[in-house]
Amino acid sequence: MKEDLMDIICCPVDKHELELDVEERDDEEIMEGTLTCTECGEVYPIEDGIPNLLPPDMREEAPA
Amino acid sequence: MGVLEDKANARLFYKYLSTVYDEVNSFIWTAEMRREALGLLSLERDDRVLDVGCGTGFGTEGLLDHVDTVHGLDQSVHQMERAWEKFGKHGRVRFYRGDAERLPFRDDTFDIAWSSGSIEYWPDPVAGLAELRRVTRPGGQVLVVGPNYPSRRVLQELADAVMLFYDEDEADRMFREAGFTAFRHLTHGPRYSPDIAITTVAEVTE
Repeated sequence: MKEDLMDIICCPVDKHELELDVEERDDEEIMEGTLTCTECGEVYPIEDGIPNLLPPDMREEAPA
Repeated sequence: MGVLEDKANARLFYKYLSTVYDEVNSFIWTAEMRREALGLLSLERDDRVLDVGCGTGFGTEGLLDHVDTVHGLDQSVHQMERAWEKFGKHGRVRFYRGDAERLPFRDDTFDIAWSSGSIEYWPDPVAGLAELRRVTRPGGQVLVVGPNYPSRRVLQELADAVMLFYDEDEADRMFREAGFTAFRHLTHGPRYSPDIAITTVAEVTE
């Protein structure tokens, strides 16, 4: 995930801004980290470079 | 309510569907139909474009002929893995996992919001359409390709049991309820089934 996406994404539930916490970077790609809603506190993972912005009730199952 | 209008089932279904999806899909959603749908849009190379339910990337591929970057969202990684094979994971497509009915984007973000072959799996299509409208800027366009309600009764029963199909009247109702005021429909398809798909293009006003 590129950092400039922070300008367009938001919490899928309440549409408030997200706060980025980077755990691993590969050049300009954020590979691992979290996105935390500044309003409701929900934490969305960045998994292998892909932000998982599914609402929590859809974030289910272990990867197959 | 069809069985796929349950999200857990939909995910399981997609997991298995993704292996054959592009082959199956090519029978009803062809490159020619994609070209016709793209022709309804005014696209500039630097437009910010969203593909909701990008799946294996068939619609995304067409959009990339017209714009530099596409933002692709899908709930299923299994489907998106096929798209990553085509476009790379961090190339011209920005990928997200997300829900069509609760989009993780700010208001008025996109010039164009596109969704092909996805609405039939949304439990609440009006909510999804309203989200497409919300994230598209005034003056932008929303385009949705879905399955037209079949005219043959045996197919109607199948359609009712499996997923959402809709005709022009139903599309009118859904788009109006989602807050759109200016839109039109095109039914199209391959020669052997010329009205299998219904494409709606809406102008976002206000």
